[in-house]
Amino acid sequence: MLSGASLALEPGEVILLAGPNGSGKTTFARILSTLLPPDDGEVTLDDEPVSEHRALTRRRIGFTTHVPLLYRGLTPVENLVFFARLAEVRDGGLRAIDLLTRFGLKDAMHRPVANFSRGMLQRVVLCRALLNDPPILILDEPYAGLDEDGVAAVNTVLREARAAGRSALVIAHGKERAQSVVTRTVHLRDGRIEAA
Amino acid sequence: MILLEVARKDLTLYARDVRFLATLGLFSASLTLILSMAFGPIYQDAPREAAATMWASLFFAGVLGLTRSLDMEREAGGGDALRMSGADPYAIYLGKTLANFLLLAAVFALLLPLTSVFFDVGSLSGLPRVAGVAAIALLGYSAWGTLFAALARGLQARELLLSVLLFPSLIPLWIGAVKLTHALWGEGGTASVGDWVKVMLVMDVLGLGVAAWLYEPVQEAGE
Repeated sequence: MLSGASLALEPGEVILLAGPNGSGKTTFARILSTLLPPDDGEVTLDDEPVSEHRALTRRRIGFTTHVPLLYRGLTPVENLVFFARLAEVRDGGLRAIDLLTRFGLKDAMHRPVANFSRGMLQRVVLCRALLNDPPILILDEPYAGLDEDGVAAVNTVLREARAAGRSALVIAHGKERAQSVVTRTVHLRDGRIEAA
Repeated sequence: MILLEVARKDLTLYARDVRFLATLGLFSASLTLILSMAFGPIYQDAPREAAATMWASLFFAGVLGLTRSLDMEREAGGGDALRMSGADPYAIYLGKTLANFLLLAAVFALLLPLTSVFFDVGSLSGLPRVAGVAAIALLGYSAWGTLFAALARGLQARELLLSVLLFPSLIPLWIGAVKLTHALWGEGGTASVGDWVKVMLVMDVLGLGVAAWLYEPVQEAGE
């Protein structure tokens, strides 16, 4: 699916990766986030191959995908506190409440996520990705299911990441929603990454 | 501690799934009742038949628990969420094993009095020893079961494959548990008790040891 795809993500850069369905965007995101080993080639972080420091790399990446990666029987707070403890985030409970409040979920934070709408789930997913304040964000379809407020919240996160010198790769079909925050746009075509 | 966090998360999810708990309880209790009726009403060797019935019910009920454990992770992205946390995979495995062990211990606590009543076996004074046998058997079951559940996660017909993988591997544990419980409930026949305890302990250590080597690559393989 991917062949010769190469991309460098610099500090303070927010890249939008666009492309049609089936072009390999999600596969590329999974490879970058170490969830999928590449058949060929290498992913490096600070000039070190990520395969040699997988656990450490994962703690430096905030990752979202089209699957929520949340436990449906737990509340948003329970989900976030659980992942915070796994990732050894200091003051995970406070951080979880802070993020959920910021994403407009203060009144819903003690309800099981099984009852959440797609948009609410997506907000919790973003909170999970931001839990340990990661220097790298890889967000696969972060705008899916979000209303205007949700889109604005994602873009605020990306703006703040940029200002703080963090890096983000945003994967989306279209560029409209991310246009105002990205530093550059690239396309995935025929397995290769091309500048827009 | 990652182990305890994972166990607590799994137990919370089990406890909140009333439909699952009701199914598990009713299935194991009805299996015990059906087998007791099949062996009775006049038992040839009540301690032996009671032991076989209780352990068969427990082992079959365990598959329901393992399947639920598998489904919980599938709902959360087939283990991707756990992997992205960067937590030690073996600690995650041990946490899941502990949760499965405690779930099975709860089923054991339900089945023990039922079996005692249906077959008129056992006594309160013998309870600690039977509980000890259960602890060894259920630890091995959970250790192997959690590993096999992770192995089956990415496969088609995973529930069926889980049983196919699990039951042949657990034969020494099942026979050991039945023999020891029979010896504790019956009269005499305790000559090989020590040997069976050793066999079961070896199975426990092997399960935990194989998982230490195999769980991470299995988890990394994903779905």
